[in-house]
This record gives sequence, structure tokens and C-alpha cells, in this order.
Amino acid sequence: MVCATTRTVSLSGVTGHVVDVQADVVQGLVSTTMVGRPDASVSEARDRCRAAITNSSYEWPTTKRVTILLSPADLPKRGSHFDLAIAVAVLTANAKPEIEQAALEGLVMVGELTLDGRLRAVPGVLPMVLAARTQGYRRVMVPEAHAAEAAMVPGMDVLGVRSLAQAVCVLMGKEVPEAAPVEPLADPRVLTWRGDRRAEELDLRDVHGMEDARFALEVAAAGGHHLLLSGPKGSGKTTLAERIPGLLPDLTVEERLELSAVHSLAGDLTAVAGAAARPPFRAPHHSASKASVLGGGSGRVHPGEISRALHGVLFLDEFPLFAIDIIDALRQPLEQAEVTIARGDEVATFPARTMVVLACNPCPCGDYHPDVRESRCSCSEVRRRGYRDRVSGPVTDRLDIVRHITPVRPHRLRDPLSRPESSSAVRARVTAARARQADRFAGSPWRVNADIPGPDLESRWPLTEDGRGLLDAALCEGRLTRRGAVRVHRVAWTLADLRGLERPGDEEVDLALALRLGEPLPVRSWAVSR
Amino acid sequence: MTATEAGARVVGEDERLARIALNTIGEPGDPRLTRLVEAMGPVELHDRLLADVGLSGLRSETAARLEGLDPRRILDAATAIGVRFVVPGDLEWPEQLDDLLGVEPLNRLTGAPLGLWVAGPLDLAAVCRRSVAVVGSRSATSYGTDVAADIAVGLAAAGRSVISGAAFGIDQAAHRGALSADGKGSTVAVLACGVDRAYPTAHRDLLRHLKENGAVVSELPPGCAPTRVRFLSRNRLIAALSQGTVVVEAAVRSGALNTAGWAMRLNRPVMGVPGPVTSAPSEGVHELVRTGAATLVTRAAHVLELVSPMGSHLTQLAREEPSARDRLPPTDLRVLEAVPLVQPAGASGIARTAGLSVSDVVESLVRLRELGWVVGSAGRWRRSPDEPLG
Repeated sequence: MVCATTRTVSLSGVTGHVVDVQADVVQGLVSTTMVGRPDASVSEARDRCRAAITNSSYEWPTTKRVTILLSPADLPKRGSHFDLAIAVAVLTANAKPEIEQAALEGLVMVGELTLDGRLRAVPGVLPMVLAARTQGYRRVMVPEAHAAEAAMVPGMDVLGVRSLAQAVCVLMGKEVPEAAPVEPLADPRVLTWRGDRRAEELDLRDVHGMEDARFALEVAAAGGHHLLLSGPKGSGKTTLAERIPGLLPDLTVEERLELSAVHSLAGDLTAVAGAAARPPFRAPHHSASKASVLGGGSGRVHPGEISRALHGVLFLDEFPLFAIDIIDALRQPLEQAEVTIARGDEVATFPARTMVVLACNPCPCGDYHPDVRESRCSCSEVRRRGYRDRVSGPVTDRLDIVRHITPVRPHRLRDPLSRPESSSAVRARVTAARARQADRFAGSPWRVNADIPGPDLESRWPLTEDGRGLLDAALCEGRLTRRGAVRVHRVAWTLADLRGLERPGDEEVDLALALRLGEPLPVRSWAVSR
Repeated sequence: MTATEAGARVVGEDERLARIALNTIGEPGDPRLTRLVEAMGPVELHDRLLADVGLSGLRSETAARLEGLDPRRILDAATAIGVRFVVPGDLEWPEQLDDLLGVEPLNRLTGAPLGLWVAGPLDLAAVCRRSVAVVGSRSATSYGTDVAADIAVGLAAAGRSVISGAAFGIDQAAHRGALSADGKGSTVAVLACGVDRAYPTAHRDLLRHLKENGAVVSELPPGCAPTRVRFLSRNRLIAALSQGTVVVEAAVRSGALNTAGWAMRLNRPVMGVPGPVTSAPSEGVHELVRTGAATLVTRAAHVLELVSPMGSHLTQLAREEPSARDRLPPTDLRVLEAVPLVQPAGASGIARTAGLSVSDVVESLVRLRELGWVVGSAGRWRRSPDEPLG
């Protein structure tokens, strides 16, 4: 045989394309060329494969002309995981040893080779396997370290191998030789610390008072709504935000897969190995770069924190301190639940169905207090206005719930009757509300109210006449934008779900309006849903 | 204390039982009943009602009901569940309730209660002597409950007890605020149903806590259910027991306005805590303030000033500390305004701008330079880049 074809996957964002790797080995001017838009790391595959084949006691066609094509040829390819497919294609084309082309049909191969022929772990195996599956493939060959990860994809026949020699033997149906185990991708952390698992210890039971904000958290969690917490420093914004994941139900299998796919892309293999059942919580510092928050990076496009927090919470503390282009770039994910990174020759899209929680101070110095007796703010009106301009604007218009947090009064801690509810009690209600949403959206791609596009909301789940009237009045008074009205509409449905109602009435719309406009809430609101 | 002791008399068994009987058959605040008690005393009224044979010789309904009643058993049953019946003349009787005698009726209710059913360790007369009612809407906002709790804490810290109605919203915030005040807060709940009932049921814990640590009071015998009119007659007790009534958030139809109405009839201070002018739950309060019926208060100190003897607990007027610039003499201020910010100017130019004589300006400039307001060299002056502090 002079020509052989194997398959692997090329990733761009979390969209993957199955790529044919064709090797043609003929007599002629001795050379090895690789065509089909390989990037530097793919081109290097030539040298890795050559050494790996030789060191695995196979024969590289040194006296022949070798042409390797990655097709479709116009799709840019990057990554080091093409090695296995290339090496096997060359071996098959060279027919030493004789691998049947039939054995390669319907098989997708992923893995990076070392010079001694071992198969190394690579990032992004899970999304690659997912892509292979959607394109009709049922068999994958992956580095053994990734076998469990690949097996998360239902209905996939996973072949985990440790070396090129093992791969070849599997394909030829021969006895598989021993090989040293493949080390998984190293946990890049050199240190672990207690704070690592802190999120699991946080409970709403420890938050006294702040019923208003607690209720807002519950509503946000129930409908997947974006939230803004504004308040003086030390008022408990972070305390509250960190507890949101604890209010969310366990991830469904599907959500887990999607999240793992993102982590896999990011090369965060510890997260993949755990296949986190709990929703993630990411809180990048305000010095973070745009690429780290939204995605991007040099070379391969990496998912940002917003995608790594998929189905969980992205918390941006002190968000006005983030670079202005990060804040502006949040608009797309807030509105469309995905991030698109466009570069010269490539457009990568990452999912961002993430609850975004923003926190800010009421003024730059952070000492402003809504109670004049407590306010020690020293900011000039000009500075304060400048800060407010950064806070309000297109991004805050895309948030569903705005809460102004007042620091808990010390006496609340001495209240003998204060029995703050535990996170699990709130989670039970959130889970019930989410179940109602799942029923309503069965057969659609939506899971929570926050996912519903405005037009569908209007046509399929309209408000009552009275509720509509309340929204229209707020619109006329200029208290609400059009976009804000859609947000209020969604939150009203979440309130109805929390209260077990068939549809939201005017009371729910009224409450959703107050939640959006940052107004004090009627105290009975949280009594009703209990 | 001595006044009460001097005025106290031992209340006879028959009078107490007569009051229980009348209390049981009548509705609280019924003007007919209170007028007759005032006129002839409870014992005689009881006996005459019992003997009433009516016009036709048939026994009157009231007489029949009185006859079927065993006040002793009612009292014993109450005692068994830790409830006592306090009547005028008892040491524990809050004498300020006597102000209700002959008060013009509101919603066809008036008059002092025949007695009060009390549960809880606190001495009612003592705890109500220095007390403030904090009432408001059941459908309060978080703003209202925060303010109510703050005021209650402040009042309790100043040794005042807080009286309220144990309802949702402001009431419960007021009670809990008082309870949270560093261990010395005492609070009294006045109910529109029997003190043994937990109404609203969600406040079971609150009421139990009050019964164990504070006082729960009702005009109605144990077991009675709340009705609309009973809330209205209850409100008159809240107003009459306290030295003043603070209304935090009351919509235009709120029962808290009824309590305020009683406080007005009793000539006790009525105070209102404002909210956003757009907020429906604050509308009633704003109306009280607007019509001059209530004084605007925003914190416990304001309340204390109004309910305390005149001259004690005076609060400072809220105003900003005068700045260094405010303290400059008028001439210097005028000169300072005329000194250019960037481009230095001579004294004569500054004098022209300020409209003052050159010699005055030079004197002023020297003073201002010493204070650090202006910098000058070679007879040319400009503002100092940094404003002096203090």
C-alpha cells in the first residue's frame, strides 16, 4: 500500500473537526513534507514521529518520498496530538508492519509521541472525543491517561494505549506488549492550600441578617440570573457570592460533560479527573487579562474563566477595577451565553452559560455608606460620578438583579431569634424551581429561565395583562430599558417557579422589578416562597 | 414606684372575677361596656347584668351568658398555663391605661380595658413605664425592617422597652431589635388574640421567646381568635401603654395608622420614619408627617428626645463642621476669591478684582500667606496649590 488514511480531531474552541491524516509513501526524491496548514507544533510531529517509529523498532521510509496531508487542507491545525495519527498513517502506507486500512476505519486517534515511542497525555481529549462522536465515530484511541475521560462520552468505544507499539499491536490484533504507564498531565500547581477546597465549607447558615440579599441569591440561583452586588467594603459581598455555588443543584451528566470539555481544553486535568459534580466558582482577580477572563491567548485559543465557570458562577469582585475592555467584552457572554474569540484566521466559540456575579463599591474609596451616620467616604463628587459611569452602562443593563448591600448591624449577631437558613434548605427550593423549569423547557435547548431568548419569552411565556402593564409603566417612566424589561420578565418567571405558580402574576413582576432596580424588597417576598 | 405603691389597693376577689366575667362576654373597647364599668364599677355592673330580666320578663341574653360562666375556672385555667389577669389597682397595672377613660371613640371603640391577660416574667407596669411603641406595615420592605430594628436597638440601649404587635414586618423587626440590644432590651407584644395562641403561626418562636423573657399581653382571654375589630381595639392598647408611637412604613390603609390615631387621641407623641417618596409602604407615614400629625424621626435619638422629659436627650442639629475656608474673616475670603489660581497677579490687580483698597488687600494677603492659602513672591500672588486643612 502506498497511501493510508487515519483520523484525528482538530479543535477550535470547543468545536472540533475530524481531520483525515493521509500518508503517501512513494519512490522519488527523498523528503518528508507535511501539507494542510499545520502550525509549528504539528510540523514538529514529523521529527517526533520519525524518532518514535525508529525507537519502537519499526521502520521509517528513509529512502522514500513521504507526503503527509491533513485534510480538509484549508482548516488550520494546531496541537501536538496529531502524532499518533500521523505515525500510524505513515506505518500503514509503508506497509512495515502491515496494518490493514480496514482496521483504521471508523477510528479516531489522539496522542502526542515521545521520541522513545511512548504516548503522552494532551489537553482537550474530552472535547475531541465529543466531536468525534457527533461526527459519527464510535471508536477512539487515546493515551491511557485519558481513557477514563474519553469514556465519559456515552456510547464510545475507547482504546487506551501507552505507546506507539501498543497502538500498532492493537490495530494488528496482536498481543499487546508491556509498556511503562503514561504519566497524566501534571497538576501544574506546586502548592496546595487549605483555601483550595474552601468553597465546600461555606454555608449560608453563617450569614446573619441580609435577608434581602439572601433572597436575591436564591432567585439568581434558581433562574441562572446575573447579579450585581454593590456595597461598602466589608459589607459581605464576597461572603454572599462565594455561597452561590452551594445553592445550585448538582450538575447533570450533560452539564458535567460540557464543563469537563472546557476544562480539558484548558488543560486543567485535575478538574476533568474529578469530573466535578458541583458547579464551579471562579473569581479572577481584577488584574486579570482579557484573555484569561474571556478566552484567547497566544497560539491555541484557551477558554477564559467565564467558560471555566460554565454552569457555575463567575465572580468579579471590584469589577470597575477590571480593565475597561474586559468589562465591555462581557456584553456578549451576558447576552448570548457564549464567547466568540475572532482572530485573523480563526473564530473560536466557547460556551458561557455562567451566572455572572459582579461586585462593586458604591464609590472609589469604598467607605461610602448609604446611612449618612456611617458614611466615611472622602471621594469628591467628580470621582464618584466617574466611578458610577464605569459601573452603570451597557454591562449593568445586562444584569438581572441589582442589590445594594448594607453591612450587617452588629446587633443582628446578638439577635436570639436569628436562625439563618442553611444552604441546603435554600438549595432544595432552588432545585425544585429548576425542576419546574426543566419540565417547561423539555425538548428545547434551554435549561433555566436565563437561557430563554427574548422573542420566545414574549411569544410562549408572556406575562399577564397586569404584569405587562407594570413593565410598560416602568419603561415609560424611564426606570427600565427594553433590555431590562426582558430581564425582569425572566426573573418574574423564576419567582413564579420558586413559588410553585403556573405563571407569574403582577406581584411577581413587581418583585422582579424591585430586584432589578435595586429597590428594597417587601419583607413578605421571602416568606411566600417558604 | 412609690406613687404606684401608694395608689395600689388590694383588689378584691369578687372584683377580679367580675372583671373576668365581663371581659369574657364583652368585646374589647366596646363603649357601652366601658361606660357602664366607669359609672358603676365592675361588681355592681356584673350583678345587675346577671339580675337583668329584660322587659318581657324573659332573661336577657347577656344575663344568660353571664350565668353560664365560671370566671374562677377561667382564671384557674389561665394560671395553669402561666397567664395572669392584671386589673386596675394591681401593682402591675400600667396606670397610663387610665388615659383611655373617656377618650373620644375611634372606629366606635374606646375606653380602658377591664383587665389584661399577661404572660411572661416582666412586670407590666415597670416595663411599660418607660416604653415606646414601634409599629408599621405587615408588608414592609427590607429598608423598613432595618430601620425599625435599628431604632428598637437604640431605644433598648437607652433603657426604653419596645412595644409592638408581633405582626409580620415592622412589628417583628422592632421586637427582635429590642431583644438584640446587648442583653438589656425588654419588649412587650400586645396581641389581638389570646396570649396562649401563636398568631401569626410563623412567629411561634418569637412569641415563645417573649413569653419566656419579655411580656405578651392581650385584652382577650386565652383561646380567643383574632378578628378585624380586635386588631383595632388592640391598637389602642399599644398606643396607651407607651409614651409615644413610632410608625415605620405604613401604607395608606395600614393598621399602624390606626395606632397613630390612638396616640394622637391620647396626646402622646406620634413619630414617623420617612421612606422613599415613591414607596407605597411609606405613603401613610408621609401623610402623617405632611399633615403635621407626626414628627419626622430617623433614629432612636430623635425618638428619645420626643418621649423624654423636656430638655433631656436633646439631639444636635445635623450640620457639617465649618471648614477652614468657612472660618476666614469676610475680607480675607473676598481677597482669596480674587487671587488667581495659576498666573500670579500683583496686589493692585487683586484689589481691583476684590473691590477693596490696596492696603487692605496687602494686609489680607500677608495673613493668608501665613495660613498657607496663597503664595507670593516679588509682590505677585497666586493661590497655594494645596488648600490648608483644619
